Formats: sequence, structure tokens, C-alpha cells
Amino acid sequence: MKILVCIKQVPDMESRFKPDSAGVWFSETDLAFRMNEYDEYAVEQAVRLKEQLGGEPELTVLSIGPDRVVEAMKKALAMGCDRGVQVQDPSVHLKDPWQIASIIAEFAGREKFDLIFTGLQSQDRGSAQVGVAVAEIINYACATTVVAFEYADGVVTVKRELEGGTKGIVQLRTPALVTCQLGLNVPRYPTLPNIMKAKKKEILVLPVAELLHEEARAVTASFYPRAKKGSGIVLEGDVGDQVEKLLGILKEKTTVLR
Amino acid sequence: MNFELSQDHKVLQDSVRDFVVKEIKPLAMQTDEEHMIPDALVAKMGEMGLLGSYLPEEYGGAGMDMLSYAIVVEEVSKACGSSGVLISAHTSLASGPIYSFGTEAQKRKWLPALNSGKIIGCFLLTEPDAGSDCGAITTSFRRDGDEYVINGSKIFITNGGYLGTGVVFATSDKSLKHKGVSAFIIDLKSTGVVILKNEKKLGIRGSYTTAFALDNVRIPAENLLGVEGQGFKIAMDTLNGGRIGIASQALGIAEGAFELALAYSKERKQFGAPICDLQAIQFKLADMYAKIETAKLMTYKAACLKDAKKSYTMESALCKMLASEAATFVTKEAIQIHGGYGFICDYEVERMFRDAKITEIYEGTNEVQRVVISKLLLA
Repeated sequence: MKILVCIKQVPDMESRFKPDSAGVWFSETDLAFRMNEYDEYAVEQAVRLKEQLGGEPELTVLSIGPDRVVEAMKKALAMGCDRGVQVQDPSVHLKDPWQIASIIAEFAGREKFDLIFTGLQSQDRGSAQVGVAVAEIINYACATTVVAFEYADGVVTVKRELEGGTKGIVQLRTPALVTCQLGLNVPRYPTLPNIMKAKKKEILVLPVAELLHEEARAVTASFYPRAKKGSGIVLEGDVGDQVEKLLGILKEKTTVLR
Repeated sequence: MNFELSQDHKVLQDSVRDFVVKEIKPLAMQTDEEHMIPDALVAKMGEMGLLGSYLPEEYGGAGMDMLSYAIVVEEVSKACGSSGVLISAHTSLASGPIYSFGTEAQKRKWLPALNSGKIIGCFLLTEPDAGSDCGAITTSFRRDGDEYVINGSKIFITNGGYLGTGVVFATSDKSLKHKGVSAFIIDLKSTGVVILKNEKKLGIRGSYTTAFALDNVRIPAENLLGVEGQGFKIAMDTLNGGRIGIASQALGIAEGAFELALAYSKERKQFGAPICDLQAIQFKLADMYAKIETAKLMTYKAACLKDAKKSYTMESALCKMLASEAATFVTKEAIQIHGGYGFICDYEVERMFRDAKITEIYEGTNEVQRVVISKLLLA
């Protein structure tokens, strides 16, 4: 069995984001990077499946980006993945989700994986398109927003989280792709001995030009921080006046009274 | 010259940080109040590999380098100084000398349990009348057939309360001063080892500081570490490396307090604005950060020199001195920035202030560090 886990390295969400000089993405200066949270659930689930199957499946972790993404891959390797593939691309931030999906699909199409795990979405761009687009391009069954996962005899059974806490159970025959949501599992810590073992694992580097044959279908026109919060409104006058004003604001600016 | 951590060190730092934030930080206050690191947490630190970071894989360690060890102790100490010193004393002072001076058989026998954290290690050198002057120890040993018999008392033994594996120092003849000292590996569950007390302390309360009586303790002759009379060298060499661990602990405490003070200065409003808008607070933050960065550079430098197998005696003394003085300075200022709240036990800076002080004292007082530094300058 061959399993692929796709991960993205994203800035630590506690960073202060500033637009870059081109105004289409954030400036990376002084940012600390780590593995996208949803991708950690994907890695953990893939490693658990490998353990369930007695270590037989080969687990490949793939990431697209500049050399710093190797740090996130090394973490995945220390958690239990077998080999890494870095699609080297210094300007990954300028690719749209379609291009990213095309790159992964090109690689996955060659390798014929039985199962692909991705995060539900990335914490920085948050399009939630890449996983489903990969499945579509290579014609895999796909389930999104997965909060529970089981595998037996070529059949994947997942629990999906729907709106308002409703759950759905979905069965897919492999080859399949699932996108992982918070609550699926608690990712393990890479232990020190496993971090050392990860150093010896293979990381294949592929130039992005070798895998990308698609034009972008969407481009970011501009990128700007949220407007500074106003100082709030202080209602004055007697209580009756204040209630009137408050009702007016709630009707006009919110949906609570509609 | 390159001041950036390697990718592998960053992966380690990130992983340990994650573990610390989720597993150690939530228990730091409890550890202080109950004068004990929960056993389950010690076990988790062992599973994580934090207790055998730089010992080789063939003896159950992680096989990392000294810089990795410094990063581990630093990250842990940001949240909990007691857990930091547990790791430091265990690794540098027990596993360290057994690895450096032990025979192959001794390493195979003792190190795997230490490196996995199943057994916690300690270093029994200090006595009531022999602290900095460790050539003055009076705990005695004599050979009796296939055994050594040890008598005396030891105090201020970090991790002693776990009754694990110790490296104990004793003399054949106290008039020989440091030339009479030998080192032995001791199983603290042996007959004749008596805990007199676990001390109550100003800080690092979660760490055991134990006083022992050693009453006709018989240990197998094969437990002699190195050769007879080599004890003083073993002690000095061990403390040399240990200083990097204590510097890392002090550095972590300082960084932990700084992070809290910086965040608080942005939240706390007085006179209609956050107090970080006041130059009086800004200058404090600048001074705190400068001391932290200086200490960090020297600590990492000492670790890198040890990794490169170069002389690091000067740098280990410097980093221990700089980092511990950074820790006491930064924690004091962190309380000042917190104002009255900083003096309250519910605020972590209060604990960090208490935890910091010992780093100026143990594993060579800062006065001893200055002796080491000036001796090297004038040699």
C-alpha cells in the first residue's frame, strides 16, 4: 500500500502579518514557520494507519515551497512518515490553489497512491480547495472535513462534520483522498530519538517546473490587513432614547432582529 | 560565522516547545505548590527523549549534540525551572560522567535506564562542610574484598529524592585533599542509604534537594568510576559540562519571565494607555532583552565548542555566570513591570523570580565562575 500526505508550512498564527512590497501576500521577514495545523492531523492519521497495518504501507510526505519547508517535512518524518518529497518552489505563494493541486496531482498520478491525506485547509490562505481539486484531477473518491477515520480491506469509512454539529458517515473505496479536520486525532510529539532517525530518511527534491503545466486561474489582486477597530459607540440620552438607538443599530448593521 | 540554528535544531526546538506548552506549562504552578513534579510528567519527559538527549543511541539516548541539549533545557525552563533542573542534573551530572568515564560494561548497565527516564540520576558531591571547596569532602571509602564501603553524609543533592542512580564522591584519606577523592556509581536503593530530608526551598520547589546519610553502604568494586584518585578530575570535568545545562535553565527562566512581562506591558493600561508606551517600561524591556540575548549567544557558543571538541572551560563559566545573572535581573524586572500583581503567587513571574536565584549558586557559585574566568585570563 502507498500513502501520500500533503503538508504545507505556514507562519505561526501568532505572528504579526504585514503585506509584502508587491501587496499580494504577507511579508515573510521575521516570521516563524510551522506545519499547518490541519496537516498535522493528516500526518497523524496516516501514521496511525501505517501502524494499524503492521508498518507495511509506505508513507510519503510532500510539501511545496522554498527550502524552509523541509523543516515541516522533517517533523512529519519524525512523526513516522518514511520519505519526503520537496517540490522546490521559491514563489509558491504566488500559485493559486488550482496550480498547487495540479502539481500534487501530477506527482500523485505518477506514483499511484492508494490513499492521500491532506488537511482540510491551510491556516494562512484557507481556500480549502487543494485536496478536493487533487482528487478531481486524478479521479479519486474524496471525503472532506473528516473527524473520524477507519480503514479495512480497501474501504475507508469516515465521519464527516457537517453544519451545526450534524455528522455524516461516508464510505469510499480506494484509491481515495480525505481532508482532515480538527478533532480527528491528537497528533503525537516527535520524540528526540525519532527526530534523529528522521535525519537519515530520504528527501527527494523536485523542481516545480517538472510538475507544473497549468496557468493560474485566480490571482490575488491585493492583500491588506483588517481596518483598525473603531473605538466603539457610546449611546447617550435617557434610557428610552438609548434603547431606540440600539434597536436601530441592531436592525441596520446586524442580522439579529431579522 | 552563522548565528542561525540548523533545520534539525529548529525541528527539535519546535517539537520540544510544543510538548512544553501542552504538557509542562499547565503543571508548573502545581509543581511549585506541591513541591513535586508529577510522576506522570517525569515519565512523559522520558518517553519524549528529554532525559537522554545527547547520550548516544547505542546506550538508549537520542544521540543529539550539546546544542540540542541546551535547547531542550532552555525550552523546558521557560515554563518550569524545576523540570529544567531535573533534566540538567540528571543528564549532565549522572549520565554525563558515567558516559565520559565509565567502562563499556558500566555504560551498558546504567545508561539505558537513565536515558529512558525509568531511573532518575543525581550527583553526590556536596557535603555540609564541602561546597565550592570540594577537595574537602570527608565521606570516606575503603575497599573490602569485592566491595567498597562508603560512610558519610551528602547534602543539597538535586534529584536525590527519586532514589535512582547516583555518582558519589568519597575520599580514601581526607588529608590527601583532592588527590584522595574517587567517584563511584551508586544505586541509591542500597542498604545504608538514608534520606535525612528533602529540603524546603525558596525556589525550584518541584525539584528534590535531598540530604543523605551513607551508613556503611556496600557497593560492588566494579562500580568504581575511572580509577581510584581520579574523582576530583571527574567532578571538575562534569561540572564544566553541567554549567551549560544550568546556563540553559537560567536562560529559559529569563525568557519565560520576559515573555510574560512583554505581554503584560502591552495589556496593562494606566493613565489611559498601555504601560509599554512609557519609556520607563520600554527601557526595562530593552535591558532585559539585551541580557537574555547576550546569555543565549554565550550559552550556545559554549555548547557548540563542546560539540566541536574544543576547549570550553572559559565559555561554560561565562555562560553560567551571564545567564544566571540575566535570570535574576530579568525576573526581578518582570515583577516590577507587573507591579503589585507580580508579587502575588497567582502570577507566574513570582515563581520565576524565586526559581532564578539558585542558578547563581549551584554547579559553581558565580564567585567560583569568576575565579575560573580570571585564572584562565591570567594563566
